[in-house]
Amino acid sequence: MLSSSVSRHDSNRSRRDPTAPARHLDPLLMLAVVGLSIVGIIAVYSATRGPGPTYSSSYLIKQTAFVGIGAGAFVIFSIVDYRKLHDWAWAFYGLTTFMLVLVISPLGSQSKGAQAWFALGPFQLQPAEFAKLSLIGALGFMLSEFRGDIDVRRMFSLLGVAALPMVLILIQPDLGLVLILTAIALAMLLVGGLPTKFIVVLTLVGLIGIFGALNSPVLKEYQISRLTAFANPDDKTNPAVYNVDQSQQAIANGGVTGEGLFNGPQTKLGFVPEQQTDFIFTAVAEQFGFVGAAMVLLLYGLLCYRIWRIAQIAKDSFGSYVCIGVLAMFAFSIFENVGMAMGIMPVTGIPLLLLSAGGSSTVTALAALGLVMSVHARRFQ
Amino acid sequence: METASPRTRMSLVGVVVIGCFMALFARLWYLQVMEAPRLQVQAIANRTRVVAIEAPRGRILDVNGKVLVDNRTSLSVTIDRVAFRKLRDRDDLMSRLADVLTRYGTPTKISSLEKRYADMQFDDLQPVPVATDVSEEVQWYLAEHADDFPTIAVERRSTRVYPYGAAAGNVLGYVGRITTERLKVAQPGVDPDSGVAKTYQSNSTIGLAGVESTYEKELRGTPGVEMIEVDSKNRPVGTSSYQAPKAGSDVQLHIDIDVQVRAEQSLQDKLLRLRGTNQRDGTLRNATAGSVVVLDPQSGGVVALATYPSYDPRDFVNGISQERYDQLTDVDGVSALIDRSISGQYAPGSTFKLVTATAALSNGLITGGTSYNDQGVYTVGNPAQTFTNAGSTRNGTISLPTALTLSSDVYFYWLGDRMDGSKLIQDTASAYGFDKRTGIDLPNESAGYVLTPEDKKALHAKYPESYSEGTWYTGDNVQLAVGQNVIVVTPLQLARAYAAFANGGTLYTPHVGWRILRSANSDVNPGGVISVIEPVVTGTVALPADVRDPILAGLSRVTTGLGTGSSAFIGFNQQAFPVVGKTGTAQVDGKADTSLFASYGPGVTPRFAVAAVMEESGFGAEAAGEVVRHVYEVLAGQTLTDAAPASVGSTD
Repeated sequence: MLSSSVSRHDSNRSRRDPTAPARHLDPLLMLAVVGLSIVGIIAVYSATRGPGPTYSSSYLIKQTAFVGIGAGAFVIFSIVDYRKLHDWAWAFYGLTTFMLVLVISPLGSQSKGAQAWFALGPFQLQPAEFAKLSLIGALGFMLSEFRGDIDVRRMFSLLGVAALPMVLILIQPDLGLVLILTAIALAMLLVGGLPTKFIVVLTLVGLIGIFGALNSPVLKEYQISRLTAFANPDDKTNPAVYNVDQSQQAIANGGVTGEGLFNGPQTKLGFVPEQQTDFIFTAVAEQFGFVGAAMVLLLYGLLCYRIWRIAQIAKDSFGSYVCIGVLAMFAFSIFENVGMAMGIMPVTGIPLLLLSAGGSSTVTALAALGLVMSVHARRFQ
Repeated sequence: METASPRTRMSLVGVVVIGCFMALFARLWYLQVMEAPRLQVQAIANRTRVVAIEAPRGRILDVNGKVLVDNRTSLSVTIDRVAFRKLRDRDDLMSRLADVLTRYGTPTKISSLEKRYADMQFDDLQPVPVATDVSEEVQWYLAEHADDFPTIAVERRSTRVYPYGAAAGNVLGYVGRITTERLKVAQPGVDPDSGVAKTYQSNSTIGLAGVESTYEKELRGTPGVEMIEVDSKNRPVGTSSYQAPKAGSDVQLHIDIDVQVRAEQSLQDKLLRLRGTNQRDGTLRNATAGSVVVLDPQSGGVVALATYPSYDPRDFVNGISQERYDQLTDVDGVSALIDRSISGQYAPGSTFKLVTATAALSNGLITGGTSYNDQGVYTVGNPAQTFTNAGSTRNGTISLPTALTLSSDVYFYWLGDRMDGSKLIQDTASAYGFDKRTGIDLPNESAGYVLTPEDKKALHAKYPESYSEGTWYTGDNVQLAVGQNVIVVTPLQLARAYAAFANGGTLYTPHVGWRILRSANSDVNPGGVISVIEPVVTGTVALPADVRDPILAGLSRVTTGLGTGSSAFIGFNQQAFPVVGKTGTAQVDGKADTSLFASYGPGVTPRFAVAAVMEESGFGAEAAGEVVRHVYEVLAGQTLTDAAPASVGSTD
């Protein structure tokens, strides 16, 4: 069509250009993102308003603001060509690495035993959350440059890039985020063409590493007891077992149809610790029952399926690797977080992306999804 | 490329993710559908606390239905500890509360509020009472100024009230907060209608003495149950169910409060009159303590049970202070907390001659007509031991009835001598119920003892220090025959033995309790009889006419003419109400004699058996006899007389 080259007037571009990004938004991904964000705001409010008669709405306001900021990030990352991340990958990686160093310096502030936040007025910025995104960019850049041709030297450079933020985060310490970064790196390396023999070796080294970490002073005692709690569910002296017991009772309390919004007694009375963050799923499950919790899982399933699909139809390998990284981030967070709440995964402080209260994690998650949307929208460009 | 294609690897990632989601769905189904019922029960248990609400105890009534122990509502000021701890101006609040209490009739120090606030017998779920029995004004004031007194409330609690004051304190007993040890072992009674156990909590009230203790299971009310929903920090957020407490059953006693009051009053008056005077041999009468027992010989019902000194159960309401408790354990040197009528142990002296006479007659040693020449002195054994009548009186040639009427010791020394080498007296004593507890429905009863030669030997072998002699001499049997030295009995046992003689030989278990009634506030059949405590026969004494008649002939004349107890019954209309009885004067080393009188009446159709025992009070008739007579005045409906001034009394 001639007209395609004739007019580049911006306002008409999407209408006339069949490859225009605006014509190729993914409505199903959109549905999952919007749906989960709304459920998240409701769940956080229900978990924090208290038993009454006067209700607290501070978390409601905050989380709504975070979703608003995240929506802005989503839009920006969708509009901006994801290949810009390819160009800026190292700058972004460098910036977050610098912030990770800064946060463990006296400039960062400590909360709940981890030096992980910058206090910015009423908000707290958690740079480790952004590290997820910057690692996805950096690994995506390298893997797309290597084009599947990975020797030992390249493998070590990949591992080194992945290891640097992990080590910095381990110092804070935030074991959950390290695990997420590990999942992201593993998935991207796998899809990015790491030879099978390296994968086998890495898996063995990883297993030995986990075993060694559990038996070494690297991990603090509470971290080990949290990790092993799910293996010894009858050890009632372990506080992590208590948390998971409470969480499972609250989930069971929901039954098939749930206790109803704001009617979950365990949620309302605050029996599940950290229920607005790590255990947000229990609030959903108690109030909305199996029907509601399964709907939420289905929305997450839809989300993961769309990301996976976009990874396959991406225009270039960088887009593909970025999507796989985002997929790993979501899938691991969901499985670990929901699995922990239901007692089939170890207790680690991982937020359930889009549902858990939290600024940095919500904004990062929405930005990552904006990136995925950008990959989808530009698959013909 | 040596590796699998990116597409294959992507599919692998997809498969892993699908697997993860499948696992999550499976677990969700398991928790919310399959395991939900079990886990939901846990969840409910987790967020509810059961708080028991104490029910009012049942009342205690006398035989005529007069209320001896009732309940009243007492207002207590309480503090909710959990909320109080979060307050900033705690000290200021305490001082304002103390001011309000002091202003409206309950002078209170801040320190006493703080002491009671810190009392660890209360758990945090229950408001802690910091001031009890406050006025209605305090309640109104605190209600009007509720905003100024956060966490403070006024609570209505049921406490005991005693319309007859201190009367029958030893019988009624008292209640108190359950101790941790008792809480562990307490066997709760059950609600007569619902069968629900009347379980105890750490703040429960429990009967600690007397009828309150023995009829605890009946008197205790069925606690109400309030299920309080709490949040994860154990703060109450609402009530999920409420079951009202139910008052306990009433217990009606055989006690006749009028007789009881008379017995207590006469006993106290007489003891106080005797106190500080000298008995005939010059020994000072301390008259420290005494007791009176009135039984119904036809059922074992206890009509009155007086003991002196005694306590006022009102002292125990809302807890007794250590200071007051210490006072009660030392009233002129003796404890007021001991009920001497059931746990005091005394040599019965001549009142025991009933038993010796029964033993001698029923074993054919003598008949009613067998006489013996009483020259005032009796000598036995080798080395010789000499025993004399009181005052060395010579009664001349007498048979058994006269020996009883005049209380000839020599006649009974002679019987004891003749029965030496046998256990006839001990066996008969046992048949009359001595040497073992009667089984009365009151705590802390004593058994007394009647030694046999074997007992004496065993005691010596076991405690050579205390019992220097292990051999049973004829002298021991001689002493036993007149109720001295080798025998102690409780006043209750003594009264029961005379009650058994009165009714022809049947031994009943004495019962203070008569029947259990429904609470007057009961929904069904208020005041109705739930159960009657039936008389229990625990033994019989064989009393054929040739045994009973000579004894009766002797005892019938004790209160008349030349009888040893006659002085106490001057002016008492024995035509209308003949009293059959026996005086007793038991010697105690270094102290004035124990004065005893055991009896029953009216003679032909006995309705009451009355015994009195008074420590360090002198001869039987002048102390115990007179007190018994005063009791009979009420029982027979005769003119009431006052205690006579102490005098050097008649012979025993």
